[in-house]
Amino acid sequence: MEPLADLLDRAVEVTADSGRPDLMARLEAARRRLRDPHVRVLVVGEFKQGKSQLVNALVNAPVCPVDDDVATSVPTVVAHGDVPSATLVLAPPDLPDDGSGAAATASATRVPVPLESLAEHVSELGNPGNARRLSHAEVTLPRSLLADGLVLVDTPGVGGLGSTHAANTMAALPTADAVLLVSDAAQEYSEPELEFLDHAMRLCPTVACVLTKTDLYPQWRQVADLDRGHLEAAGARVRLMPVSSALRLHAARTRDADLHGESGFPELVSYLREDVVGRAGTLARRSTTHDVLAVTDHLAMSARAELSALEDPAGSAAMIEELVAARETTGELRRRSARWQQTLGDGVTDLAADVEYDLRDRLRKITREAEEAVDTADPGVVWDEFDGWLVQRIASAVAANFVWAHERAQWLAGQVAQHFDRDGTVALPELLRGDSDEVLELVARLERVEVERVGPTQKTLIALRGSYGGILMFGMVTAVTLGMSIINPFSVGIGVIMGGKAYRDDHRARVKRRQAEAKAAVRRHVDEVIFQVSKDSKDRLRTMQRVLRDHFTTTADELYRSLDDSVRTAREAAKAGEADRAERAAHVRATVARIEGVRAAAARLVDAPATRVGVPA
Amino acid sequence: MSGADEPAQQSPGPRAVVEVRHLLDRAVAAYAAAPGAGAAEAVGTLERRLAGLDAPLRVALAGKLKAGKSTLLNALLGVELAASDHAECTRVLTWYRWTRTPSVTVHPVDGAPWSSPPRRGPGGLEIDLRGRPAPQIDRIEVGWPAPGLRRTTLVDTPGLDSLSRDVSERTRAFLTGDDGEPADGEPVVDAVVYLLRHLHATDVRFLESFGAGRGARGAAPGTVAVLSRADEVGVGRIDAMIASGRVAERYRGEASLRPLVQTVVPVAGLLAVTGQTLREDEVADLRALARLDRTVTDGLLLSVDRFRRPSLDLPVPAAARAALLSRFGLFGVRLALTLLRTQDLPAPVLAGELERRSGLTELRRVLDAQLTARRDVLRAQGAVLALTRLLDEHPVPGGRELAAECERLTLAGHGVRELELLRALRTPGLALPADALAAAERLLGAQGDRPTDRLALPPDAEPDRVAEAARRAREEWLERGRHPLADRETRRACRLVVRTCEALLEPVSVAAPGRA
Repeated sequence: MEPLADLLDRAVEVTADSGRPDLMARLEAARRRLRDPHVRVLVVGEFKQGKSQLVNALVNAPVCPVDDDVATSVPTVVAHGDVPSATLVLAPPDLPDDGSGAAATASATRVPVPLESLAEHVSELGNPGNARRLSHAEVTLPRSLLADGLVLVDTPGVGGLGSTHAANTMAALPTADAVLLVSDAAQEYSEPELEFLDHAMRLCPTVACVLTKTDLYPQWRQVADLDRGHLEAAGARVRLMPVSSALRLHAARTRDADLHGESGFPELVSYLREDVVGRAGTLARRSTTHDVLAVTDHLAMSARAELSALEDPAGSAAMIEELVAARETTGELRRRSARWQQTLGDGVTDLAADVEYDLRDRLRKITREAEEAVDTADPGVVWDEFDGWLVQRIASAVAANFVWAHERAQWLAGQVAQHFDRDGTVALPELLRGDSDEVLELVARLERVEVERVGPTQKTLIALRGSYGGILMFGMVTAVTLGMSIINPFSVGIGVIMGGKAYRDDHRARVKRRQAEAKAAVRRHVDEVIFQVSKDSKDRLRTMQRVLRDHFTTTADELYRSLDDSVRTAREAAKAGEADRAERAAHVRATVARIEGVRAAAARLVDAPATRVGVPA
Repeated sequence: MSGADEPAQQSPGPRAVVEVRHLLDRAVAAYAAAPGAGAAEAVGTLERRLAGLDAPLRVALAGKLKAGKSTLLNALLGVELAASDHAECTRVLTWYRWTRTPSVTVHPVDGAPWSSPPRRGPGGLEIDLRGRPAPQIDRIEVGWPAPGLRRTTLVDTPGLDSLSRDVSERTRAFLTGDDGEPADGEPVVDAVVYLLRHLHATDVRFLESFGAGRGARGAAPGTVAVLSRADEVGVGRIDAMIASGRVAERYRGEASLRPLVQTVVPVAGLLAVTGQTLREDEVADLRALARLDRTVTDGLLLSVDRFRRPSLDLPVPAAARAALLSRFGLFGVRLALTLLRTQDLPAPVLAGELERRSGLTELRRVLDAQLTARRDVLRAQGAVLALTRLLDEHPVPGGRELAAECERLTLAGHGVRELELLRALRTPGLALPADALAAAERLLGAQGDRPTDRLALPPDAEPDRVAEAARRAREEWLERGRHPLADRETRRACRLVVRTCEALLEPVSVAAPGRA
């Protein structure tokens, strides 16, 4: 990142003299972003595909537990650190949610543990179903692969990619810089995998597929070809890399370069370095240079206005008039009544309603299916399976709703940017652009909560599941046992007369009652889900609205100040005496030259070749 | 219950079949007398049922894509007939029945069936589909003189999650019994062997749907889960089968799976097929490799690519090594080399050893013990269920008596009741401790139908010992049933187990032989 840091330093230097704290703040923010180059790579897939072993092989250390049976139950984050260490992060005990998610960030407890004992905490054996409520585990290792800010996140495998785990993974997708979809060479892609891939590609910019266990399956080449065929048929331009974690680990032990080549890891590592970290570098460079260009444009505008007033006092009146007009338009933009503000406000309101409607619609279908299912069987008997089915269906509906809302939100952001653009183009300098790329990035950054922390929605879903399952099961059990114990003394006496009929009638009545109870429970649960999820998505939309408003208002403010400065300096220049004028002009010319210099440097970086920024060769 | 029912307990099979046949005859007469198209259709259904009573047990192999259905089918046949490949290859339902001479008939969805020459290629049967795509073929019927088909008819099904939705929908409809016109809600197979690689939520759902179609209460009578491709569980390590045994053990206790399947057996399908079709030249190649230095073979066995890489230093050419790999898999090669290194086994012994270690022997035992030996019970029960449903949907004059008879038969046969109790034991609700549940399952025949299986005795135990064990079990369960805190269901269950013990106690000599 050296050239970028230099560029920022130079930009700060020229801005410092100008007395523009707003522009300084923008540069400072850019510098902070540059210093924290975390590139998160989510390793996802169905269970038993070799995800944990892949992470282990990448960092060449047994950090993630690997087992013949289902292993990982808690996400493990592997990042760079000077000393190997492991930390467990406990889920906050409760969720006093104020809508900002800040509560969750504050109350997380961190417990350092020895690296060797990590398996006891994050594996299905030591911590079945994550009974200890760990949010995630963090591991640091001194590895050159991770040194550039690469962070690998090993996720629990998902059964069928439609379960609660999958919903969690889905929510984490927009926050990841890249996703590795792991599937082993035993078979070609299944439908759920392709579906998941489709979702992933819509939520995350960089997706790659990894085919594991090529040491074990003789037909891995054919499977790879079939998978590539499926990817092509699905219109997914995604790379597929066959690897063998076992070979890489063995090669590392025996220092066998040939074997390492056969493992397929060189390609994967260079992909992570160049495409993932490199792309993140490109993005960082783009946004930094963008900031620098904008700042220098602002500075140059007032300097140039002053300069032309100094050089041509006669023509300055017309120019000042133009500037004043531009300032007026910009002033309009800052007002709440501006059209983009209305678009944003209306858009968010509509979107909130649409998202809720979409969710209700999806869940209504599920409720109907659930009621049909309840009608056909005794819910007391099939409850466990039914419960699992329901939770899974709801989770995938919520995930689909999330993807849809995300896309709509992006569309809205683009729309607002366009309006801002159109309103601003009247008599305004080039400078004012509603850069839709930048806006999209802003929306994406909104989702940048910690990947591995269970999002409020998912947390609620899980908590709700516990409560509703509990209530119903408890109700069922008491119904059954109480029913029994009341009926027992009766049936002893009356049984002789009534025989099996009473029992059968009673049984039928009890089944009816259980069916009614189950239906009520389902409806109650779905209501709760709608309530929580729509609150959650409303919060998200509100945050988006706030961020977009702030972004555009700041842009308008900056421009207003620049125009204001220009008007002021031009007027002063026009009034200045002949003697001062030459001296001042020379000074301003020098300033303009410096600004131009920085601007040119920034422009050169934009045009530089795209690869290998910030990645040591 | 009167004394007249006692013989039925001792040999529920034939007796139950006789009674059910009689009932079906009466039902056919009733429907034949009734007017309307529905009645005529019902007669057809019932007549198919009657014919079905004498048919061999029909076992469908089901599972998701690439679960190893065709490979296991070949293993059960003892002949490589079904094509098994890395890509999705079974796209059409295929029936395998025993016939004296091989024959293949293709039934399209519409149009007349045609027969295809029964020709075996390197990858199994080569069937002439006359250029029709899979969704247009209803089923293929293969007749073959394969030893495994004498007692069972096997059905190979396409994956339940096939990428072709048409195909997977048809399979699901076939297995759940709502196959539309011809099947008319009646089950087309008696039992399902469900293959799974890892237990996914979708697997549980498929299993539930089989049960829903066949037994009214959500649990299918004849479903055995097979943890297929078991050698891959431990990523092909030499102890992979032990690892997969542990996983199968866990699945057996899994709450979501317990009510749905009778047991879970790990099977390494590829190894099972190879074990049965092992050739001398392959054994010779393996011997040559086993004689090499350990470090050389360890290096070779690192990965499939290393194993089949051309090399002049090895006694076996690369092509032969690649062939070994595709026949045995990496685990199979590792296992065979280990076996041959410790002991110079002759080919037939090696073949037997591979078959045993593949888990196929255990699966055959389970099929015999839990499915084939009870086929009469299942068949009779299936017919009664179908008739009950028919009476429900198309009422006829005299239907009430027939329905009552159905109900009596469902309740009367002790064998059926044992199956039902087995099912009940597997759903939560009975107030019995876990070890008692396990003992009850065993007594009811979950581990095998022979008295020695039921009483957890060695197969060659003397009659006296068997009788003694049965007596002890009977007393224990009598005691349990008298417990003051036992609820009604539990008492009923205990009474049933006591009856089972009594049946075991009395005619040891009658019950022991010839039930299969």
